[in-house]
Amino acid sequence: MALNPWLAISIFALVILLFTIPLLSLPYLIVFPRRKENPFRDMPFESGQVPQGDARHRLAMQYYPFVLMFVVFDVVGMFLFAWGISFSQIPLDSSLVVLIFLVLLGAPLAYALRLALRRENW
Amino acid sequence: MVNIPTSPADLLPFIISIVTSHTFITIIIFPGMIHLTLVSAFLTWYERKLLARIQLRIGPLYAGGPGGILQPIADGVKLIFKEVILPYKADRTLFTWIPLVLIYLGTLPFAVIPFGQHWVIANLDVGLVFIFATTSVFPSMIIIFAWASNSKYPFIGGLRSLFQQVAYEIPMWISALSVVILAGSLNLVDIVNKQAKIWFIVPAFLSFIVFFICIMAELERLPFDLPEAEPELVAGWFTEASGAIFMAIFLALYLKLYMMSALVTDLFLGGWWGPPFLPQPVWTVLKALVVATAIIIPRGIYPRIRVDMLIRIGWTRLLVIALANVFITVVLVNSGLLARWGL
Repeated sequence: MALNPWLAISIFALVILLFTIPLLSLPYLIVFPRRKENPFRDMPFESGQVPQGDARHRLAMQYYPFVLMFVVFDVVGMFLFAWGISFSQIPLDSSLVVLIFLVLLGAPLAYALRLALRRENW
Repeated sequence: MVNIPTSPADLLPFIISIVTSHTFITIIIFPGMIHLTLVSAFLTWYERKLLARIQLRIGPLYAGGPGGILQPIADGVKLIFKEVILPYKADRTLFTWIPLVLIYLGTLPFAVIPFGQHWVIANLDVGLVFIFATTSVFPSMIIIFAWASNSKYPFIGGLRSLFQQVAYEIPMWISALSVVILAGSLNLVDIVNKQAKIWFIVPAFLSFIVFFICIMAELERLPFDLPEAEPELVAGWFTEASGAIFMAIFLALYLKLYMMSALVTDLFLGGWWGPPFLPQPVWTVLKALVVATAIIIPRGIYPRIRVDMLIRIGWTRLLVIALANVFITVVLVNSGLLARWGL
């Protein structure tokens, strides 16, 4: 009755395409052929002012240490999920290793948070 | 299995067997496209109406039916036939195709979210991971769209969105971990089946709170709607979007709202379990709409918080609470307090 789940997801993905492509292509078929060039209309929006310069310049990458912590906890989260599913099947003393690992992770986390919060701007 | 027809006489039974098959019904009708289209249209109307009532206004009224219920259709028709304005410096390919990807990412997780025992498109063993994988592509698509529109407001909004969604993804995963420990599975149907006797909101209350705050931030809802802060950034990362592109983004955001509400329902609020006078899917949809209401209401009440406060709340409060909650769950499961409910 029910298909292989990945096959079902692939069919669903195709159906989404069938539903959304007409939605996005309709304005191009109807509106764009009647379109006239108008440089004022196509300006980037800057609250009615004439746009100044390019938007793609460097912006300061603030809160950098938090991004570093993201990289760490991304991987940790992945391992924790692998442990979480098998938690009820494995004996507690094997889980203890993971819990000790989490406690050990807590100390550098606290230090990193303390350092990261001490500075207003990075 | 379906037999491939060999003669024209077999064609009609073949079509009937496809249309009545489980896959067709789930993909096209119930948890699939028609249901999603109707619910996302309903949610746009519902959010306006709710906010209007909170702020002592009346809300949409004139577009047919009681309370302007046809307003979403009027909006859709208007937006499809409106002119799409492409900023002259924008990257046209990315600008026009990223909204499609956004709709895609908003819809695809529904493939694994169950609305009833058999009302699920794909009963996937790694359903929760599939959902987290698809939702974590959202921020990168947003920053690409913001970059493609080559305007200053969208760019700042896109950067903010990236920071916010990155900061709140980790507490979200780790708070979902305690549900995984309780259920012992990543399959969402199994997770809901485990909640037949007790909803996971009771043993995992703290992680419900953390998860709920995190999805508010992921959905960019007030008080976390920095990426589209109207008074500062016009409309945030979709300032330049107009016409059909705006409609696609709007639809994607509402689909994501509904997806997250359904996910909270399945993880914490017992999914389809409820008094048996209503069928299973109705319970799931009703609970998801209640969660969506709880997500919408703060938009009418609370002010916006600052960027640094947002980052600090995410990393120093929510992450620590989520990690501590893993220990609480481990103690709860091992102490045998939950054995009465079969956990």
